[in-house]
Amino acid sequence: MSSFSYSREALENLRIADPAILDPLVDIESARKAHLRKDHAKRDKRMSIREAVAEFVQDGDIATDSGFAYVRTPHQAYFEMMRQGKKRLHFIGSPNTNQSYLINYGVCAYSHNSYVGAEMRGSDRNYSRQLLNGKVAILSEWSHGSMAQGFKAAQLGAPGVFSKQLLGSDILRFNPYVKVMQNPMRVDPDPVTFIPALYPDVTVIHVHAADKYGNARIYGPAVNDVALAASARKVIITAEEIVPETDIRYNNKGVVIPFVYVDAVVELPYGAVPGNMPGCYYWSRQWWEKFLRWGTLSDENIREFLDYWVMDSKDPFDFVEKLGGAKWVALSRRMTKTAEYDNEDDGYDFAYQSYKPGSDSGIYY
Amino acid sequence: MEAAKPANPLEMIAYVLSLQIRDHQVVYVGTGLPMVAAILARKTHAPHITMVYESGGQDPIPGDMPWSVGDPFTWRKAALIQEMAYSFAQAYNGYVDIAFLGFAQVDMYGNVNTHQIGTDFLHPKVRLTGSGGNNDLTSVTENIVLVGLHTPDKFLPRVDFITSVGHLNGGNSRREAGLPGNGPVAVVTNAGVLDFEPATKRMRVQSLQPGMTFEFAQMCTGFELLRPEGDIPVTPVPDRAVLDILRTEVDPHGIFTKIPGL
Repeated sequence: MSSFSYSREALENLRIADPAILDPLVDIESARKAHLRKDHAKRDKRMSIREAVAEFVQDGDIATDSGFAYVRTPHQAYFEMMRQGKKRLHFIGSPNTNQSYLINYGVCAYSHNSYVGAEMRGSDRNYSRQLLNGKVAILSEWSHGSMAQGFKAAQLGAPGVFSKQLLGSDILRFNPYVKVMQNPMRVDPDPVTFIPALYPDVTVIHVHAADKYGNARIYGPAVNDVALAASARKVIITAEEIVPETDIRYNNKGVVIPFVYVDAVVELPYGAVPGNMPGCYYWSRQWWEKFLRWGTLSDENIREFLDYWVMDSKDPFDFVEKLGGAKWVALSRRMTKTAEYDNEDDGYDFAYQSYKPGSDSGIYY
Repeated sequence: MEAAKPANPLEMIAYVLSLQIRDHQVVYVGTGLPMVAAILARKTHAPHITMVYESGGQDPIPGDMPWSVGDPFTWRKAALIQEMAYSFAQAYNGYVDIAFLGFAQVDMYGNVNTHQIGTDFLHPKVRLTGSGGNNDLTSVTENIVLVGLHTPDKFLPRVDFITSVGHLNGGNSRREAGLPGNGPVAVVTNAGVLDFEPATKRMRVQSLQPGMTFEFAQMCTGFELLRPEGDIPVTPVPDRAVLDILRTEVDPHGIFTKIPGL
């Protein structure tokens, strides 16, 4: 039995037999208890990614897809979840692009969906196929902004927010959580949506720098990650580098995650590879294109692709070697700096050979 | 001097879309042709616009064509980068003048589908991306311009799934649903520019591309198009200078505007 009120129409439309499966996401009381139970002491929380994923990611947890699809996204932590054989997680995120391939390895069984795809490179045929095959079930359907408001409400310590998003759309018919009601402040009819605060079980946030306690600095779009760190019951920080506390204190612009939220701190250079890490490395465009244009075509392709790249790599360094090693790192750093106007490469040419079947290059730039 | 190749259909859409932007506006930009249009507008008739992106970039210094709305070029030396919740909030709060959005299907009231082909949610013919920011921007931005290719399987009497509400069922139904803003004010396609008749909010031809007739545009549309009073204006064509800027500065690699063989 569920202790929350859900849209009956959405439960029916999504064929959710037992709504109790939806409860943890909006259960502030259990999230608050989890936050109270945490050791609030400022202590050294460093560990390996293997230890952090083993200890803090439990089968069946609600996990997040953080960053922005392939921008500062903790891909290497997701890959570790695949290697450790984590099972039947619920995933939520805006976008939720990375849930797709996790489904093929049994890591993700339930999806809170906002957007799966790669913009102009097309919708993700793998996600479409896994939905049809019943390998993943959608538990709720969202827009980016409405889901962002749910996370933000949790960070604000509010039961939810009233919003104008989703009104009149079919998304509401497939979201058990969101309610349409009269704006209590207004005299004239004024429909609003009520978006409840959202509390995932575990989030991994990849950051530029953190101290050993978990105070963490981000540069570039934070997207939903500050709110996710505040709301999730368990928080793993993976960082390009661990820095002294004084570095965090002296360069505190961009420090957006306080240590009290954090359960584990992992030094993980190249933790966002093959995505873009603002200021550090550019995404591997050919890798993503091969993945989307060839990998997602069939279950066999995606297995072959990810077995090579992920299951046969033990850490990000193995992965970077496959992308092209030191030469890839140099190119990639130069490109991201150029894109951000951080060097004098005004005339740098971003042209590249887009992936075509059989056109694998030695360097995936 | 060799004559420039005339604008291909994608370049034409990008140009016509750019004309929807007035100087000094704040423009919320989605991936693809909207990016091309906004950057082209900035380099031609609207040099003082401010571009904002859903991943948070605010007023970047233009560089190469972004690969995505999360590309570093979308926050290139931006004065600030917002979080996602705040980036959409500025549209609701009235700090965004116009937003451009794509669609997989659109109906006669400008309702948009980016979710699925087929009406069965659990067993669609094809599952598409889902909303992303599409619903948010159509819900809360003052003026929406839709952009896409004009075919009968995209322009339908009813979309298979309303991801984003345009004018809902026409008339005042958008307002009655509680949504602010004007909703979709234009649809820019390879046939021309369409708007919405003020009373019924049904899609209407505003101008047609050179060589396009109303009858042909109607054949490309899965519902009855409204016809404006009198002669239908011809959509302007980019001159050589604008085409040069589009091809050499805005999208030099033809990421979004090149058609193989053209």
